[in-house]
Amino acid sequence: MAHIAVPGAGPTRWSWLLLSFTRRELATRYAGSVSGFAWTLLHPLAQLAIFAFVFSQIFRVGVPQGYPGVTYTAFVAVALWPWIMFSEGLQRAMGSIAANAGLIRKVAFPHRLLVYAALAACCAVHLAGYAVVLLALAALGDPIRLTGLPVALALLIPYMLLAAGLGAFLAALQTLLRDVEHVVQVVITVLFYASPILYPASLIPKAFASWAVVNPLAWFSERMREVLLQGSGFVIGDLWMTLGCLAVFGAGLWFFNRLSPSFEDFL
Amino acid sequence: MADAAPLVSLAGVSKDYPKVSTGGDRLRTLASLIFRRRDAPHFRALDDVSLEVLRGQSVGIIGENGAGKSTLLKIIAGVVRPSAGTVRVNGRLGALLELGSGFHPEYTGRENIHLSSALMGLTRRETRANVDAIVAFADIGDHIDEPVKHYSSGMVVRLGFAVATVLDPELLITDEVLAVGDESFQKKCVAWLERYLRDGGTLLLCSHSMFHIQTLCSQALWIHHGRVRMDGAAFDVTREYLTYHQEKTAAERTAAARAAESGVLRLLDAWLERPDGTHASTFRRGESLVLRAQAFEPDDRAPVLLFGVVRIDGTAVYGSHSNERGHVPARLEPTRFAWGVSFDALALLPGKYQMRVHVLDPEGLRLYDTLEREFVVTGETRDYGVVELAHRWLP
Repeated sequence: MAHIAVPGAGPTRWSWLLLSFTRRELATRYAGSVSGFAWTLLHPLAQLAIFAFVFSQIFRVGVPQGYPGVTYTAFVAVALWPWIMFSEGLQRAMGSIAANAGLIRKVAFPHRLLVYAALAACCAVHLAGYAVVLLALAALGDPIRLTGLPVALALLIPYMLLAAGLGAFLAALQTLLRDVEHVVQVVITVLFYASPILYPASLIPKAFASWAVVNPLAWFSERMREVLLQGSGFVIGDLWMTLGCLAVFGAGLWFFNRLSPSFEDFL
Repeated sequence: MADAAPLVSLAGVSKDYPKVSTGGDRLRTLASLIFRRRDAPHFRALDDVSLEVLRGQSVGIIGENGAGKSTLLKIIAGVVRPSAGTVRVNGRLGALLELGSGFHPEYTGRENIHLSSALMGLTRRETRANVDAIVAFADIGDHIDEPVKHYSSGMVVRLGFAVATVLDPELLITDEVLAVGDESFQKKCVAWLERYLRDGGTLLLCSHSMFHIQTLCSQALWIHHGRVRMDGAAFDVTREYLTYHQEKTAAERTAAARAAESGVLRLLDAWLERPDGTHASTFRRGESLVLRAQAFEPDDRAPVLLFGVVRIDGTAVYGSHSNERGHVPARLEPTRFAWGVSFDALALLPGKYQMRVHVLDPEGLRLYDTLEREFVVTGETRDYGVVELAHRWLP
């Protein structure tokens, strides 16, 4: 069997490299722009404003039962940022291998660091945005349970592990099959509307109820609201969902590592 | 620190690259990767290469474009996984497959030093301690704080090599990195490499410059169409390699058929021998070479002999004819004449040559026949050109 020894490979070396990659990823986003971080905040804010206007002013959708005193804007915002973290993180992770083709062809290092770095940079940016928006909403009078923040953060970990697992899987697949990117774009758009982000899970018709149960995005959207708007703590379902996400992460990474030695052949 | 185990050892290494021109090929390749089968369409870039590099050795990798040199280096560097065979590297390895490949164009030179060092395996503390040394070696002045996208290609190479110099690897792999950069920086790099080798470093150098290979390497490996064509002392391998190229160029040129033999005056034979009369085609540099030729002349009048020495690629070295000195050939028997020319202390530099022998009518006006004899001059030299000109260095 072929065997390659990469000497000097230690956890410290790779963690420092991961940090460097993440910093580079962040720097790339803002390189050449004056306002930098503001743009990353502005885009989701614009989305939020559109949704809030269309649904609360035009369709006059009321805030669902169970969320007393919560504005529709806050209702959407709480689930929107985690979704953006997931969907954008997934897409960036997926593109990370192709984006660093030059590096992969010339330098030996664990390719999965690129996937992690893409996701980590995305999380860092949007977590900051999330924090700003939550604080702003709380200041404007929405009953945001800031005490629920640690639980919400803990829930984001399996959510992002899910993104990392899927991202690694798709990044590897994308290296061989360029079609993946286009398919994923469509799927992500569908998933956005198919998941209870703009609406509560309770509005999902009975015929599709089973879908809401198996869709992890629905689970995390609902849970974020329960934690940050209703003051819920951990529930037993969180454990099962975490185990499921870990399984996806493991499987995605297995697939990635299987194909990773051959990336150079296709880039 | 004597270590008997080779620093690098490759056994039966092959590399297949997948052929993915159609969608079906891609799917088949994907399936074979997941299930670890070997039935996907592919072509072989490297075939059954074995190599051992001992600590302190310096090995040059030579070969034509597309022969598989870079693939071999990438396999040793761990960038490419071989399709078959085993690779073992027992030491800290620094690979310069392309200088500056890890650089980010929007980053300044200084910021890129950090990322590049991280990629090459330095920790944050090691990098911090070395930044000044790297900046000094690169010697690109204030540009170090400008984005790399504004750098010239030479400046990128300077910075890339500078990062490698502080890594202090046990094995350094470089792929044609000396070809770029200006003269003075090349000298700086070569000087650094020479010191690195003196200090016991191990080098794998891929280059098209036989001068660099001969200067820096003791051993050389010639890769030809993915296989090892020759493996041995750098001087021997580079000489054979150059000869191969000279022959290749010559073969392309002399496709034109030689004029059909006509007329009655003709060369019966021509050969090369040592002063003691033994036939030979290989001569040491400085040895004496004797050319012998015989011709048939139907009117029994002494013809004129002309000889020319050319390098195998067709470069003319020297030529003369018997009329020049009024030389009269020996008449062995009626209609049969013989010549002998001795080249004392052959001044030709090592390489492959051709002795062209022509016979002209007794008036020396018309060329009747030609014979060619190849010979090789052996020896080691770092001189350039074709012949050694007598010279001496003045005090």
